[in-house]
Amino acid sequence: MNFFNRFRKSPLLSKSASDTIFALSSAYITLETKLGLKSTGRAAISLKAVDGMYFLTMKEDVRNFLNASRTDFDLAYRILTDTYGYLWIIIEGKNMEDILAGVTAIGDIIYERGFADNLLVTVFQFSSDTLDAKPSTQYLIFNYKRNNFYPFVPLGQKNRDTEQEMKILSAVDRELCFEKDMSNWYPLWDVPL
Amino acid sequence: MIAQLSSLKPAWQRRDTGLTVRMIFSFAILTVLYLIFLSVLSYLGVGYIPIILIASAMILAQWYFSDKIVLWSAKAKIVSREEEKDLHEMIERIVARSNLPKPRIAIVNIAMPNAFATGRGQKSSVVAVTRGLINILDEGELEGVIAHELTHIKNRDALVLTLASLFSTVAWYLMQFGFYGGLYGGGYGYSGRDRNGGGAMLIILLVAMLTWIVSFLIIRAISRYREFAADRGSAQMTGKPVKLANALLKISGTMRRVPNKDLREVEGLNAFFIVPALSGSTIGNLFSTHPPVEKRVQKLMEMEASMS
Repeated sequence: MNFFNRFRKSPLLSKSASDTIFALSSAYITLETKLGLKSTGRAAISLKAVDGMYFLTMKEDVRNFLNASRTDFDLAYRILTDTYGYLWIIIEGKNMEDILAGVTAIGDIIYERGFADNLLVTVFQFSSDTLDAKPSTQYLIFNYKRNNFYPFVPLGQKNRDTEQEMKILSAVDRELCFEKDMSNWYPLWDVPL
Repeated sequence: MIAQLSSLKPAWQRRDTGLTVRMIFSFAILTVLYLIFLSVLSYLGVGYIPIILIASAMILAQWYFSDKIVLWSAKAKIVSREEEKDLHEMIERIVARSNLPKPRIAIVNIAMPNAFATGRGQKSSVVAVTRGLINILDEGELEGVIAHELTHIKNRDALVLTLASLFSTVAWYLMQFGFYGGLYGGGYGYSGRDRNGGGAMLIILLVAMLTWIVSFLIIRAISRYREFAADRGSAQMTGKPVKLANALLKISGTMRRVPNKDLREVEGLNAFFIVPALSGSTIGNLFSTHPPVEKRVQKLMEMEASMS
């Protein structure tokens, strides 16, 4: 469906992405109870940056929105561009509801300014606080092109903990729209969160 | 009361009744097929006794020497406790926990990761692993694979499959017999002397062929269910389904499919819009003895989910 929506430019794409993302509002509790994974309060939207007035305007709109909504959501934010040429809008909030509201609202702004095709992912950061293992940073990545989530647990330099990723998959498989094809679980090394 | 207690158990500990029902059903079909086959033969009054005798003798021999044949054909070498201390200790731990007799342990000196179990009964059984398996799996994963093989032994899967293949073997011999019989019948003019005999031959050939095809498919189906049962048993023995799932992914090479390349590098290639090739594996599934790895991993992960 997603694929055809891209041609029709219907608002459905953005809508369905928001719906899929909002499923996290209950799934994150499952992650905490089943795997001891806690949200760090940080999430980031990544999109391919392009030159030009329209992109700059969109960026300003996002900035204005985040400044204006500070009273409602209480989100801190940073905006930066990485070495791959991707713009990262990094937000930090006190609770998952605020983060999800912020992420989807920013997604809508990007969509309305015509940059839906540039959207890559939204990354949600978690950390494990089990007593026996050393704390590690783990991610749930929402892919806009596939409209689904997949786990990413980096282990040092360019290694990943597939076992933990599969545990995350099995823990929230029923609540979240998950990428079943593991060959699409592309990592994001050095996420600037 | 007992039923209530068992329903309180988590899902992964409960007996898989569906599996048992399917197994019984499969065997019922096989038995009925065999009976029909025999009655058709006796109706036609063919001297089928010699063929069945030969086939049974072969199956018995195969059964009796099965472990030696399998070990010899796989070039597996039985290793003593001194030679492979770690492996022996690991298996001793698993069998002690599950109250099973300790099997003999063999190693196949090849790089391909694999494992198998063989033997006539629980006491004479052998668990063989390849060198490659020991090398690529970590301890927990190896434990999962060995527990899978031990479950095969515990469930007497070798016996079950040998019995099941009895029908198909008999049918196979009869098919050949019928085929050559028909050939000679046509070629040397026996049919002229005995028209009814030629017709009967054709019927036997058809029935034998049908029996063979159907029993072949059913044996494959039984084998696949036994694999699921062994996965389940392994997960119950070790309590770590995710380890076996990991091992299966590693052995099948699926693990290598988890990419290492950054999403931002591949995004430009539009990799996500390549329509996956039609897997159309339904026919393939019917013929294979093992269920697809994805399905096995999925079932194991469901167990993992119900455990945590």
